[in-house]
Amino acid sequence: MARVLGENHMDIKHLKNLVALMVENDLTRLELEEGETHILLKRGQAPVVNDMPLPAPVQAAPAPGPAPEAAVTPPQDKPDLRDLTIRSPMVGTFYESSDPDTPAFIKIGDIVEPDTVVCLVEAMKVFNEIKAEVSGRLTRVLVNNADAVEYDQPLFAVEPV
Amino acid sequence: MFSRILIANRGEIALRIIRACRDMGIEAVAVYSKADAGAAYLNLAHDAICIGDAPAASSYLNAAAIMSAAEITDVEAIHPGYGFLAENSTFAQMCRESKIEFIGPSTEAMDLLGNKVKAREVAAKAKVPLVPGSKGVVESEEEAAAVAAKIGYPVMIKASAGGGGRGIRPVHNKATLRSSFRNARAEAEAAFKDGSLYIEKLIERPRHVEVQLLGDRQGAVVHLWERDCSLQRRNQKLIEESPSPHISARTRRKLCSAAVRLAKAAGYYSAGTCEFLVDIEENFYFMELNARIQVEHPVTEMVTGVDILQWQIRVAAGEKLKLRQDAIPQNGTAIECRINAESPDHDFRPSPGKINDFIVPGGPGVRVDTHAYAGYTVSPHYDSMIAKLLVRRPTRQEAINSMKRALEEFKIRPIDTTIPIHQKIFNQPEFVRGDVDTGFIERTFFSSSRAGK
Repeated sequence: MARVLGENHMDIKHLKNLVALMVENDLTRLELEEGETHILLKRGQAPVVNDMPLPAPVQAAPAPGPAPEAAVTPPQDKPDLRDLTIRSPMVGTFYESSDPDTPAFIKIGDIVEPDTVVCLVEAMKVFNEIKAEVSGRLTRVLVNNADAVEYDQPLFAVEPV
Repeated sequence: MFSRILIANRGEIALRIIRACRDMGIEAVAVYSKADAGAAYLNLAHDAICIGDAPAASSYLNAAAIMSAAEITDVEAIHPGYGFLAENSTFAQMCRESKIEFIGPSTEAMDLLGNKVKAREVAAKAKVPLVPGSKGVVESEEEAAAVAAKIGYPVMIKASAGGGGRGIRPVHNKATLRSSFRNARAEAEAAFKDGSLYIEKLIERPRHVEVQLLGDRQGAVVHLWERDCSLQRRNQKLIEESPSPHISARTRRKLCSAAVRLAKAAGYYSAGTCEFLVDIEENFYFMELNARIQVEHPVTEMVTGVDILQWQIRVAAGEKLKLRQDAIPQNGTAIECRINAESPDHDFRPSPGKINDFIVPGGPGVRVDTHAYAGYTVSPHYDSMIAKLLVRRPTRQEAINSMKRALEEFKIRPIDTTIPIHQKIFNQPEFVRGDVDTGFIERTFFSSSRAGK
């Protein structure tokens, strides 16, 4: 894979593939050692074997308004359903700051406005400033500096305030 | 040889290119729009990059996004497939300037052959017959009458600025020439803001016969024989076959040699197709050279045994063609039916939607190229072709029999498809005896006596 990962960073795509593998095979735990990298993924709760066909849902009505309060607390590594996502509007390479010696445009906890520049995405030697387009507080950074990103790829999670 | 190629296309041709890459041990990078996210064929690529929203302009025609995807995946070449950017010389140039090979002909050949006037000049120089016509724009009614008398009626008056079948008037005899000329001029002025007209001989009941070409960068060009694509509806091909049932062996040789001469004169390499119109007396006339891989390339692959996609990639990587002209066979007859998600009963309007059942025919000599499957949703954003059904048998009659069987086997539900119209065509005596022309489908199924349906 030609994408630049940086040292000690997980390739998000690689992790997505591992998660897909777990879901496909209904695994709850996957532990992997690749060179100096150790990955441990845990998923949900142990599956309950159920021989009986589930009754067909009657009048499945969509949950009104914002996501319902989950009866089960979602595991910590799942995104908060109330978060907004800032997605990449283009294909290219993600940079968290305008140059390696400058701090990142934003950090977790910062408030962003629609016009806040949150990162750069570089394509064909042109650096494009990416604006938030949303308002809120930054809760998570979903990619690493110098990662390759595709169109619509989630970059940041923002909590509306 | 390339170690990684990006495919700037979608659907069945993207899958075809992925397969060629996998066969050759090359990593394939696919690109996709939001509308194609989740398509199963993307999982067969080594990597898949989302490049934009559903509209082609945002995605498959978005050269900048495609180049970015090529950059971040560090590919050595881009295959454009057909349609989209396949014959866009600006895009080809962008690739090559970024040190990424464009799998297709040179930019110069593309520009030369993409211009109708220049292409005709190259053909004339290569002594390839052209549709007789005026030397250029016809200025007056008098000149029109003189040209028409010289080339012989019937003629076509065509708008220079025309396109899409508009601004074309047939004239069958000199009594109607002057008024037709006046009317054509007025129509062209109104429609295209340019009343310039030229005149070509009207080839009546023409057959469309095209020659598959392969050239390498060392100047070698071979032909892979011809395909007959006379079965069309509104200039869209429905069925193609090889060999053409409409031409003699002698005409075949002359046609194929002419195509090779033209390709060499144009400095053409990679895969390409030289299209001709053939009249009832087997005179043939150059139409255009398509500088790309075509939809119906599998027809030729089946009768010759040559993997055209693989050769395209090899040639792009600088390899010499290892095909000897005298060793390229034309074994048996191959026929292709293009299966579209359209309703023949409703003027072929597109019928997108989710496919629940998808049962693919099989058996000896059957090939199906498709990106669709049970559970796949045909989106309304792109071309409606969802599958190519091909059959190759030792004789044309056997190929027809097997195709009828295969069409019967092919189940795509619940969306409408063009399978029923193909079944009707295969029961038409003219088709079975090999005697159709490009107007056949319209006349037989959609003539005015059936209007108001």
